[in-house]
Amino acid sequence: MNEMHLALHGLAIKKHAGPAAVAATVGLSETRVAELLRQAVTTGRASEAQGAYLLSPAGRLIIESLYSTMFDRERQDDALVAAYDKFERINTELKQLITDWQTLDVGGQKVRNDHSNKDYDARVLDRLGNLHERFTPVLAQLCRGVPRLDLYRKKLDHALDRAEAGQVQWVSDAKIDSFHTVWFEMHEDLLRILGRQREE
Amino acid sequence: MAIELGEWTLALNGASLPEKSLIGGKAWSIARLRALDLPVPPAFVITVKACNAYLRDGVIPATLDAEIRVGMAWLEAQAARQFGGAAKPLLVSVRSGAMISMPGMMDTVLNLGINAATEAALATEAADPEFARDTHRRFLDLYARIVLRATLPELAATAAIEDWQRAIFESTDQRVPEDPYVQLLGAIHAVFESWNSRRARRYREHHGIAHDLGTAVTVQAMVFGNLDDRSGTGVLFSRNPLTGDPAPYGEYLARAQGEDVVSGRFTPQPLAALVTAMPEIYTELLAAAATLERENRDVQDIEFTIQHGRLYLLQTRAAKRAPAAAVRFACDMVHEGRIDQATALSRLSAEQVRVLLSPRLAADATVHATTVAQGEAACHGVGVGVVIMNTDEAERRAQAGEAVVLARETTSPDDVHGMILARAVITEQGGATSHAAVVSRALGVPCVVGCGVGNLAALTGTMVTVDGASGQVYAGSLPVLAPNERDDPALCELLSWAARVCPITVLDETAPVAEVYDLDAVKGGEDATQLATLLAGRKIAKGGAITSDEGVRAALQAGVTTIVARHRLPVMLAAIAAARDG
Repeated sequence: MNEMHLALHGLAIKKHAGPAAVAATVGLSETRVAELLRQAVTTGRASEAQGAYLLSPAGRLIIESLYSTMFDRERQDDALVAAYDKFERINTELKQLITDWQTLDVGGQKVRNDHSNKDYDARVLDRLGNLHERFTPVLAQLCRGVPRLDLYRKKLDHALDRAEAGQVQWVSDAKIDSFHTVWFEMHEDLLRILGRQREE
Repeated sequence: MAIELGEWTLALNGASLPEKSLIGGKAWSIARLRALDLPVPPAFVITVKACNAYLRDGVIPATLDAEIRVGMAWLEAQAARQFGGAAKPLLVSVRSGAMISMPGMMDTVLNLGINAATEAALATEAADPEFARDTHRRFLDLYARIVLRATLPELAATAAIEDWQRAIFESTDQRVPEDPYVQLLGAIHAVFESWNSRRARRYREHHGIAHDLGTAVTVQAMVFGNLDDRSGTGVLFSRNPLTGDPAPYGEYLARAQGEDVVSGRFTPQPLAALVTAMPEIYTELLAAAATLERENRDVQDIEFTIQHGRLYLLQTRAAKRAPAAAVRFACDMVHEGRIDQATALSRLSAEQVRVLLSPRLAADATVHATTVAQGEAACHGVGVGVVIMNTDEAERRAQAGEAVVLARETTSPDDVHGMILARAVITEQGGATSHAAVVSRALGVPCVVGCGVGNLAALTGTMVTVDGASGQVYAGSLPVLAPNERDDPALCELLSWAARVCPITVLDETAPVAEVYDLDAVKGGEDATQLATLLAGRKIAKGGAITSDEGVRAALQAGVTTIVARHRLPVMLAAIAAARDG
């Protein structure tokens, strides 16, 4: 695959990020990604501010119009599509799980989970670990179609490791590569690869 | 000792309390409830000895099978039901339980013992074939997921049993056994196996727990709240978990199972419905709640079921509580002499107090306000700003210093950069688990979702006030109230207790202090991860991220002796917690 296209795809997923983060998403070297992103700025496909890059409106249109050829083979891979359907089912479960992590049901009303109830948190974390275990074979199937996705496995393992060691922000904090952040990016990646739309 | 059924099993009859290390935490709780003379469904336990023999030899002990049959016969006699029976079938739950609860252990399998024959018997008994079929479906689903470890699509409620079994076979190359005893042995085996799951092993290694403790297996009779008009199910809180009011609070659903409440198939009624229907049961329930609150020294959340006019407690634990209730419980239980001040403080988190003291709409502010949109409350807090539908524009204007409310049909990762900077987020579509809801909560941005298709575009460019607690969006900028801890008598009392045990001095920002190091005036001061470095060598500090849990911890470690803050109590609670956790 064209490395420039891959870098733009990585930027489309990361939205607003430096070369290191994009490189960690697409599996190219940081130096190479930095070079590609600088080039993308000169051709008007991205903009840069304080080291972080952003696709320009034109860049977004270009990458989206490229997807059907970029991922033609993937879109016809039945095993990959079947694995993706399994991912979607687990995704529904994950959204509920993250909601349960963030909110407490107190006598029928939802209040914010302030993570002071350790038993409650432990139960939700246990569910997350269980979900991750069931997701592992599905991810292996996805990786057979798109080997690059293995990068997400490493990030998910890392986030879960931290969370299970008691660092609760690694579950869903939006500002770090928490389990939910990585999961969401992986979802975005898969949607773009297979040309699907997100469902609420 | 509870009744010994042989070498490996114990019937929990309440006669004595076996060691937690032998029967695990869950069976111990059941035995304790029985010892307190409280009604719980009958149960027996396969002790950790059997698990350890299995782990040592790689096979289930030869005599265990016969003992399990004795245990089931005891359960049948206690429950007056028959396992696999063609009339009044006994169904059981199977759960893992080590002395210390840990992740990675097998989840509970419910309704074990159901098959085509017992489903028919249950349908006749409850006069509700739909319930019996749904019980069967839920059992197959749980057994397939938990014991066979399948990743299944949801089993359609209308499909035939054979269709469900086929879906399970396609995912696992196995069928869920028909024979109730084979089901039971399969579940017990899966509990033993789960002791050595990757997560359980890792947790034990991380926490220095021996690998040879083993887990017990609890087998407990299921009770049914939908068998007749003298059956039902509900939840009782020994005090109100929302307001903290001392009156018991709860929900009751006549002629229903616990899952019906969760599924939304029925709407529960207030507890008053139970008072009318079965006053003697209500009295018994309140007495049980009082006993448990006294014994456990904390407010209880009790799940109960009534079967044929008999009360059973299914689970009891310390109640989850809203911030206002956490404050009131802490004060009331000290006044009642149930707990000491240190315990009371340990049950209240800094975050709960911060939520109570966070800005909110004044009580009368909304009386004459115009609601311009409403939806589901997704993240609490109040946000005031100009409505902007375009994320890039919202980001640009927010960066220029304008207060903006981001309004979208739905949100996706493309919108996160705008959500971070918005005072509030509102969406037309989606519910509590939608992207907007999940991300707003992660960011702490007030959020209302599902305001209705086409309902937000007209608000573009107008000033609105979003109340993330009620789900209302009001026209204009409404007055926002910033509560003060000194105006609240309960918080003042807690302050006086906290001051006695707090490891550092916390001063009100109005107090005169010389030589204070102001983190607001320092680059990086708002980033808690940088405070350890910035605070090195400082004695008195304020501002930046110092009042966050992480900031307080960093201050303690850096040797800061005094923190100056607008609200003292959250800082003190964070400091006390940090000192307690080492």
